[in-house]
Amino acid sequence: MSTLDRGTVENFGRWREFSAGMWAWVFHKFTGWVLVGYLFTHIAVLSTATSGAELYNSTLVGLESLLVVRFLEVGLLAVAVFHILNGVRLLFVDLGVGLTAQDKSFYASLALTGVIVIASIPTFLGGAV
Amino acid sequence: MAEHYSSFDRGGRRWLLQRITAVFLIGVLAFHFVLLHFVNHAAELRFAGTQMRMSQLGYFVTMWLFLATATFHGVNGVYNALVNQGIEGTQKKAIAGVLVAAGLLLVAQGTRVALAMTNIV
Repeated sequence: MSTLDRGTVENFGRWREFSAGMWAWVFHKFTGWVLVGYLFTHIAVLSTATSGAELYNSTLVGLESLLVVRFLEVGLLAVAVFHILNGVRLLFVDLGVGLTAQDKSFYASLALTGVIVIASIPTFLGGAV
Repeated sequence: MAEHYSSFDRGGRRWLLQRITAVFLIGVLAFHFVLLHFVNHAAELRFAGTQMRMSQLGYFVTMWLFLATATFHGVNGVYNALVNQGIEGTQKKAIAGVLVAAGLLLVAQGTRVALAMTNIV
């Protein structure tokens, strides 16, 4: 096993020394917090459906007409795509597959997230700008 | 040399359930995004379309399982992150209680919303 002591990953004060695996851990944790926060917000917004079609429709139309909401949706996509791709990477690592290439698969997750998000921007901003 | 970082005790029950829900969520979250942002544009979503989709049993069940597994995965993830940061004793029990209550409330409210979106209630 490794003879290199990289210290505790929870010690964010030494982030400059973090390796790829540590950044993957930090990003996965950050995107996880964002997604669970969004889940509660999402159900709160969709709860307008319990008050009828009119309120549900006007809420969705009102939110989607705001440019900042469209940008937040792009951000949400970035967070979700990275969490999914890095999650797949974690599942493989847990199965013992690709452990020695885990830094490369982290960079691949980041790059693929970037490509998917950039390619999706026209769809997400369509009609708002 | 590669190293393994995880907030979980590998091999534990919460660790296993986190992985099992992850496998389901990978597919269903991607499906949810594609369907409601690319196939149907988010800005064009209306109640009638939502009701049509949610009134199909297979779609309804998939979305409810999405709600339940995402809630478990999220709340369990938060709990493990906090355990990883060193919470112990009464603090750990109190946080577990709050998270379980928040999770159950979210699933209950989500179920209410899901039923309101169908044409059966």
